[in-house]
Amino acid sequence: MNGEEHLIEHMMNPQNYGNLPEHNSIGMGKNPQNGEKVAIYLKVVEKEGEPFIEDINFQAIGCSTTIVAGSIITSEAKGITFSRAEELISVTIGMLDNVPPEDAACSEMVALGLKASLDTYRERQKDPQFPMISYHISNDCTPQEQENQEIEEKR
Amino acid sequence: MNILFKEIHELWLATQFTGFMSQTKSRQELYEFSNIIFKHLTWIENDFVKKDIAYGYDIPQVPIKVTHISVMINDLIRRIEAIEEKLSSCDDEHITFRMKSDLEYITSILKTLPEEEVESAFDSNRAYPNIELTTTARDALTVFLFEEIYKEYELILVYNYSKANSNNAFLNRIFQILIDESFFHLRSFGQMMADMGILSVPRSLMEEIYKFDDLEQFLKDGIEEEKGAKEECKKLAQAVSDSSEHFASFFMFINNQENYHIALMEEALAYINKK
Repeated sequence: MNGEEHLIEHMMNPQNYGNLPEHNSIGMGKNPQNGEKVAIYLKVVEKEGEPFIEDINFQAIGCSTTIVAGSIITSEAKGITFSRAEELISVTIGMLDNVPPEDAACSEMVALGLKASLDTYRERQKDPQFPMISYHISNDCTPQEQENQEIEEKR
Repeated sequence: MNILFKEIHELWLATQFTGFMSQTKSRQELYEFSNIIFKHLTWIENDFVKKDIAYGYDIPQVPIKVTHISVMINDLIRRIEAIEEKLSSCDDEHITFRMKSDLEYITSILKTLPEEEVESAFDSNRAYPNIELTTTARDALTVFLFEEIYKEYELILVYNYSKANSNNAFLNRIFQILIDESFFHLRSFGQMMADMGILSVPRSLMEEIYKFDDLEQFLKDGIEEEKGAKEECKKLAQAVSDSSEHFASFFMFINNQENYHIALMEEALAYINKK
């Protein structure tokens, strides 16, 4: 399967999509500009003294790119420890400079949703009533072409 | 009864999307059956509202990737049998009787539908029959179809939820028109997805999308989204105009239809503000 087919497969059959009724942590990545958001549900178990992501699902209000990013990142995050998940988040965010801004915003939203869910879990170890954590993205979701058009219109 | 509601929701989608796979007269039968099953969903929903029972549209992904239509037909029959076993959980005997009668008839017809190979609906080929698309046009069309099939499904459920939970005849007339319009678009895009080998059922909706507090804001956002969709249609019409006059005119037609949706939403907005 080449890269293009791989992406189409994720669009047709997003992995790990939907609510996870048995989750014990949840986090949210948000784009404050347009109201798009990604919720990441985790079922975490303790393994050899470290939290381990036994299961993960996501739900999103967003575009197809967000769904593809959610499908890929949650597939990578399933069955790994929190420290590996933190690495996955930094690698994902580190790669965003090389992708178009609108795609970067979608991937960042998923990565921050995962980060928020890890942090919510940690906080709930100290205080079980700790509310869900949300993080806002820093990338701009507006496609360059549209941004140029808006600048033209303002002139 | 909540399980019954979810299973009817899944059956509605499974029936509708099996219709997209078919290249024979079965398509029309399946479309009609999906209409009937959607009506069943609204009957149960109205009963929930009357009895003040909490409900939602959250369902698991409905699997549809098959090589032969008989696999889906057998799946639909199995789903109907499971629903029939749960009909007793609905204590409105009139609804139960009507649903039972409809489902028995649907099953009897499903058993007679001919076999068809449907692999091409899922082969990701992204070639449109008898139309040469440039790479740009093909990619633009692919993204558009994935975005819009979800959008139309979302709109059907959002307006349906608003209608079920409102007693206002003026607004409900508008919601019903918008539901009917979205059904037409869902079917147009679903057929195109099957033709391009990328057929898939839209993902389920997050609850906050349809359980909103501010109808006015929802309508304002909806108008902006429709304007955005118009622009997408215009861009798409341009992108495919070299490849296909038929496609270009189809997308201009969809673009112009969005004007009507905007007018309806503006009418609803004016009505709310007047009140």
